[in-house]
Amino acid sequence: MSSYKPKVLVVDDEARFRETLIKLLNTKLIEATGAESGMEAIEKITENKYDVILLDVRMPGMTGIEALAKIKKIDPLLEVIILTGHASVDTAIEIMKHGGCEYLLKPCPVDELTARIDAAYERKVTRTKVKAKTP
Amino acid sequence: MKENFSGRSRFVNYLVPLCLFAASWPVGRTGGALYALGALILAGLSFFLFRHLVHQINQAEQRSCELDEQLIQSQKLAAIGELSSGIAHEINNPLAIIGQEVEWLRHLFETSTLQEEKDRGEFSDSLKQISSQVDRCRDITHKLLNFARKMDPVMQAVELNRLIDDMAALVEKEAKLNNINIIREFQKDLPLVTSDPPFLRQVILNLLNNATYAIEANGTITISTKDNKDGRVEIAVADTGRGIPKEHLKKIFDPFFTTKPPGKGTGLGLSICHGIIQRVGGTISVISQLDRGTTFTIRLPIAP
Repeated sequence: MSSYKPKVLVVDDEARFRETLIKLLNTKLIEATGAESGMEAIEKITENKYDVILLDVRMPGMTGIEALAKIKKIDPLLEVIILTGHASVDTAIEIMKHGGCEYLLKPCPVDELTARIDAAYERKVTRTKVKAKTP
Repeated sequence: MKENFSGRSRFVNYLVPLCLFAASWPVGRTGGALYALGALILAGLSFFLFRHLVHQINQAEQRSCELDEQLIQSQKLAAIGELSSGIAHEINNPLAIIGQEVEWLRHLFETSTLQEEKDRGEFSDSLKQISSQVDRCRDITHKLLNFARKMDPVMQAVELNRLIDDMAALVEKEAKLNNINIIREFQKDLPLVTSDPPFLRQVILNLLNNATYAIEANGTITISTKDNKDGRVEIAVADTGRGIPKEHLKKIFDPFFTTKPPGKGTGLGLSICHGIIQRVGGTISVISQLDRGTTFTIRLPIAP
């Protein structure tokens, strides 16, 4: 097994949620950092390399869905998992339209989240390889 | 209403002089008797028609009362429906934090002996967070229960500023997401009013929801209270929204009148508010200017 730690950006305006999740993910061999808004997330994604983004939907300023559209424009291969306390069919459809790959409802156990992050990372690796082979 | 129409005695009071008048008509004996008979038949028919009408009116009144109750109930349910998604979000967030803190505590237990100051500090911090997030959930559910509990109109002394503040807090977070500021301009030492708190909550919440809808984003809602010094207290909910066209203002309290797109509004909100305020002995009025905003004003009687 590779010793590479998937790089995850946790985007959530709820500071305590973000900070504790980062601590927990770091104990699960995941390199997690945080952003408190969609705008900050876009800045970080432009400057750094990430594998998976955990994105909240309801945030002041830029919503998660708006951030998702911008993130996918910057890096279409980036895997985005929506983690929200507010689930609705309309939101789910919007997320799928903008290329979001997973849609999880808070509260979500960290083990389940870790499994989804691992799966998303695997998908990203495969898609990157496929893209590299495609002429 | 019943008093105006009821009473066989009132009918008899009219019928007897009518028959006497007809009988004494100066056209001869036979003609007078025919007139009296005709008048009697006519009066008899009128009496039965009258009774039927009174019965129909009473039934219509009863149906109207029942419909009013149903409308209030359906409006309450619609308001809960609109709020429920926001409330789910509000509860899921603290629950997520609680879940994570528990997982972090478990991790601390598994990996440390809690002998070090840093670990003990983290342990205590996590417990504090759990307690604070439970309070947050309790606050939300209590407010929801207060709002949703079965309401039988019970008139009592109400502390308006507190009631309005609770309702403002319920919509404030959602409003902030759209950059809508809620300003409270409450008069201190406001006299208590005689009213029904659950009904009033419903009205205030409805007006606040309408105000946020009218603003959409970036604006201000000002809720003010004042003693009018005429035995009434005034509540004003003013928004800086798009305003209501003059032709709509006349119909604004009509049932099923809505300018919202299909599926977005029932057109019952303001009609119910109007009904409720009337039932608790108050008045509600509106003034609006296009692109400037709208102000709803409620006046309620002060508690004796």
